[in-house]
Amino acid sequence: MIAFIRLYALQAGAAIRMSFADRANFALQVAGMAVNNLVFLTLWVLFFAGFRSVGGWGFADMALLLGLTMTIVGTCGALFGGYRDMAVSILRGELDALLTQPKGLISRLLARESLAIAWGDLACGIMILVLFAKVDLADLPLLLVALSAGLTVYLSAAISFACLAFWAAGARSFARDLTDFTLLFSSYPGSIHQGAVKVLAYSVLPAGFVVMAPVEMLREPSLRSIVVVLSAAIAYAALAGGLFHLGLKRYRSGASAA
Amino acid sequence: MTSIHLPSRPAEGARAAGAMLSAFRLGAGQTLAGWQVLAGRCIFYVIILVVLAALWDKVAAERLPGTLAGQLPPGGLALYIGVTEWITLALPAVHLRMEDDIRSGGLEPHLLRPKSYLAQTFSQSLGAAAVRLAALGATALALLAASGREPPPLEAFPYIVVLGGLGVVVGILLYALAGLMALWARRSLPFQLVIQKLMFLLGGLYAPVTLYPPVLEAVAKASPFAAHLYWPSAQAIAPSWDGFLMGLAWQGLWILVLALACAWLWRRGLAKVLREGGV
Amino acid sequence: MSAVITIANLRKQYSYARRGRGLLGGFSPQHVSIDAVDGVSFEIGRGERVAVIGPNGAGKSTTLKILSGILEPTSGQASVLGLTPWRDRRALAYRIGVVFGQRSQLWGELPARDSFSQLRHIYDQDKAVFEKRLGEMVERFALAELLDQPVHRMSLGQRMRCEITASLLHGPGLLFLDEPTIGLDVTAKAAIRDFIRDHARDHGQTVLLTSHDTRDIELVCDRVIVVNAGRVVVDQPTDQLRKRFLGRKVVTLLSAGPQIVVDLPGVTRRASQAHAVVLDVDTRLVRVEQVIAAALARGGVEDITIEDPPMEEVIHDIYSSAVAAR
Repeated sequence: MIAFIRLYALQAGAAIRMSFADRANFALQVAGMAVNNLVFLTLWVLFFAGFRSVGGWGFADMALLLGLTMTIVGTCGALFGGYRDMAVSILRGELDALLTQPKGLISRLLARESLAIAWGDLACGIMILVLFAKVDLADLPLLLVALSAGLTVYLSAAISFACLAFWAAGARSFARDLTDFTLLFSSYPGSIHQGAVKVLAYSVLPAGFVVMAPVEMLREPSLRSIVVVLSAAIAYAALAGGLFHLGLKRYRSGASAA
Repeated sequence: MTSIHLPSRPAEGARAAGAMLSAFRLGAGQTLAGWQVLAGRCIFYVIILVVLAALWDKVAAERLPGTLAGQLPPGGLALYIGVTEWITLALPAVHLRMEDDIRSGGLEPHLLRPKSYLAQTFSQSLGAAAVRLAALGATALALLAASGREPPPLEAFPYIVVLGGLGVVVGILLYALAGLMALWARRSLPFQLVIQKLMFLLGGLYAPVTLYPPVLEAVAKASPFAAHLYWPSAQAIAPSWDGFLMGLAWQGLWILVLALACAWLWRRGLAKVLREGGV
Repeated sequence: MSAVITIANLRKQYSYARRGRGLLGGFSPQHVSIDAVDGVSFEIGRGERVAVIGPNGAGKSTTLKILSGILEPTSGQASVLGLTPWRDRRALAYRIGVVFGQRSQLWGELPARDSFSQLRHIYDQDKAVFEKRLGEMVERFALAELLDQPVHRMSLGQRMRCEITASLLHGPGLLFLDEPTIGLDVTAKAAIRDFIRDHARDHGQTVLLTSHDTRDIELVCDRVIVVNAGRVVVDQPTDQLRKRFLGRKVVTLLSAGPQIVVDLPGVTRRASQAHAVVLDVDTRLVRVEQVIAAALARGGVEDITIEDPPMEEVIHDIYSSAVAAR
């Protein structure tokens, strides 16, 4: 396990160094994303200044949601950036070269890229959590659980969407769309959804498990909420692993869309 | 072999228009060819409308005292958002296309032709936008019918279509300004991001600018960003002939100003490219 | 013959700031100037087919860009079809065709037909004239099955045929080609060379071509201008150049056993390795098939490669010869 983590760290480190190579471009992308996120924050500040709360969610709750989302997306992009274009890699047959090497195909796919903009997300996410989300030091362990579980669900969902590429060439843009839709749901108060939309947010586009359930866990900690969050992370990880395994079998047999 | 031909001004104008129309059709054809991306965009539109409509409906339903909830229109903001997102999602990434052409030397084939790169690119983007507007518009109508929500009055539709189309023109010109900055900065991203955020804020992407404090409202309404988003979308919640004319006037003004700004930037940048052989 | 292109003392200097060393290097850049074109003069008459050749960085593409109007020279004069290229860029555009081997002028996602149609409008072409020209080229270049295919799905050879077609649809009297056969296989190259030569002959078109491939020069052009370091080194009819420099082939013979020795007049051995011998063949003195036959007669031949000498060598020979002649 330690060896695996060490190997991953090496690969991800190389990808990070590569993204950092063009310093001006790196700075521009980070600054751009930071500006982008701060404007969204400003819009929410304005919204809550005008409307105070929605469905029981106040500004601090929204800040917690935004902070979690940005930190999760930022961490994924910086350390597991290969997730974004995984569908394209599969369709281009880029797995062929990787399959000839021993060990850890998924981890190599994830570690091969690091997104510069992700650091902008990460920086803003942490800043928002610290300054606006009203989380105390005592909440830190639960916050880490929320971040880890949320990250696992987000990454697993993205991998599952990318796996569609093993079966359909049209998944090239659609996989990325699905990840964006999940992110979309993760950027608005959880209290506004009901009915079929709520079902969608807690299943196919699991924004509910990426951030909404973790927010509720942090605001009203209980054994039940912790179990829900952790179980969701394990379930989605298993789903992603299973889909990838099935898709890879198909790829190896030559039947895939690549 | 052709001989030197010097067409008269009106003939030249007609030919330039013909080339622009052809570029418009090309842009439309390219967008239709990438129908999967278009479909993804329509689905994104549905989802964002569902989410934002849920948000605003909840706010309207709760009607918390001492908040701006009392100023919301009776039907809520779902229709307003429907139009702002319709326009926003129809905007092609003309700045990225220009940046790519500028950085990769892709300007060269265009400079070797007798028609203006700016006019051709603009027309092509307009063609792409037209297809997106149609696809997203059909999606909006389908969603409206499926939701059972009260639609805007019939008189509003022509206002929305005309102002919406011109709003997209304003948006393309704004993004073209960002794209042209690549002639100096080699990147359009920082300029495009600033412009986009101003569109969200001063254009009133998520809420009408009438909800802002008076000074901010006045600034927003006079800005090109309101010409892009607010004026067309306001017709969805409070359609009126006066509002239509006002919107038309602001859009006319900003289209002229932004077109001149683009032409000026292009001239300066082109001189640089011809002198230095690139950027 | 009336001159279609006249250039006199053309110069193009590029300057850029080279970053100094160390942390403060960004604050004290050195300004470096490069003379891409350094006093080039020549005239090209109507109907001539001229190759401009030279090693990388010699100034070929820069000269072409200046002549087509998309680059301003630092100094000097140029007249193309009676127009000053960088001042009359738009007017000139109607009368020239340009093909860049490495850059496409077509719209990738759309069928070739749509690209051609778009160009018809850009060049204000009469529909009937355009259709006739397109029909001729479709037949000549066998493009019928390609018309409805998106350009980005075509092979390089197919794409180049479409690029050349696109550059000729408005009936230009002057054609500029920058490395038109680069990256193509032998058959595709032959098709393109034949087309360019025959089309130019049939329509009295003037052609200016840059290339690294000596066969492009030999089979298409009747005159060669050699440039090196921004200057014209040689300007001669192809025949003369062929006799002196282009009549060489490089033959590599691989053997399992000892090196194969071919002892014929006109054959010189280059530095070789254990199982490979590289021969310089002067085709004015001996034919390549004689050399091959001699090698095969010796036995033990595993592989034979026949190549043109690298352009750099040809240029070097030309240049050395020109210097020696002074």
